[in-house]
Amino acid sequence: MNKTMTAASLAFAFGAAMSIAAAPAFAASHGGAMKADMEKEKCFGVAMKGKNDCKAGAGTTCAGTSKMDYQGNAWSMVPKGTCEKTMSKTSPTGNGQLMEFKEKKA
Amino acid sequence: MSPHEAFADSLLAVQPACPPGLITWNGSDPARRFAVYRNNVMVSLIDALADTCPVTQTLVGEEFFRAVAAEYARANPPRSPVMAHYGADFAGFIEEFAPAAGLPYLADVARLEMLRAEAYHAADAEPVSPEAIALLAADPGRLPAARFTLHPSLRIMESRHAVVSLWAAHQGDDVYSALAAVDTALPESALLLRAGLDVEIYRITAATATFIRHLQAGRGLGTAVDLALAADAAFDMTEALGLLIRAGAIGGITHPEGEQT
Repeated sequence: MNKTMTAASLAFAFGAAMSIAAAPAFAASHGGAMKADMEKEKCFGVAMKGKNDCKAGAGTTCAGTSKMDYQGNAWSMVPKGTCEKTMSKTSPTGNGQLMEFKEKKA
Repeated sequence: MSPHEAFADSLLAVQPACPPGLITWNGSDPARRFAVYRNNVMVSLIDALADTCPVTQTLVGEEFFRAVAAEYARANPPRSPVMAHYGADFAGFIEEFAPAAGLPYLADVARLEMLRAEAYHAADAEPVSPEAIALLAADPGRLPAARFTLHPSLRIMESRHAVVSLWAAHQGDDVYSALAAVDTALPESALLLRAGLDVEIYRITAATATFIRHLQAGRGLGTAVDLALAADAAFDMTEALGLLIRAGAIGGITHPEGEQT
């Protein structure tokens, strides 16, 4: 596209963009547009779990009662996740699998 | 090998072994005490990855996820005490992890979730005022050379798989119905942006992703449009600009002197 055309179409697009910007945004996560309209206030310490929490205390890993994570080879089992409910056009079963499979033609 | 190195190696070893020279204050078995500590280290690293990648974990199930995470943690111990960003190359590890090869999209889902954590912890910034946008629109001659400063949390990701749809399918109550509608083989690109304390993920076209990447790299609006159109003639600049304005992604507008576009 040459420079004059870019400038002209950009001006038009920018004007149009401003008008569509008035409509609520659609985010893949639910409720995104609604949240934007709500009053916002900062609230610390509640939104995402901290990852440096101390594990000390009764019934926690410091007491040595946590589940052990040293078992190996767990991936040789077929896990119970949503993967097997997920469509896969290249998979012979039509769904995701965790065993390796040869891709079929989609 | 120094005592510290021996201690660190024993923490991450597959076979439990107590490093030599450990003693306890009360005469209890050092090997048992060390085993508890060792387990805590591994559990906390795996928990950090699980906190960042809930959808990845749901896709493969907890057992498989924790096993991959443990493999990753052994090969990639943290380099920083800040666990929020632990796992920067976890997605790359999944990509190379043979047992997960049957799920070609898994690594990209993890990548999206890592970007989400990055966006969550990025600096705050106020979007430009609607007046500043209106002012720019009123002066179309300056549009092509204008540069946008984008929000510090803004992240772009391109995938050969339907990562945004896969991620979004896990946000509602009825995951299975939502998943049934997802065609994982469709390429998708994502725009991540924090609004307030929530990271929003938008599904965008590959051309829009190209456009925003060029803006992010500091190129002028006209140049970014040209490059996006060169990548895909169907690039919709109105939609792309509308999304950036609407989502509050534009933090500043500058007009470099004597800029040629």
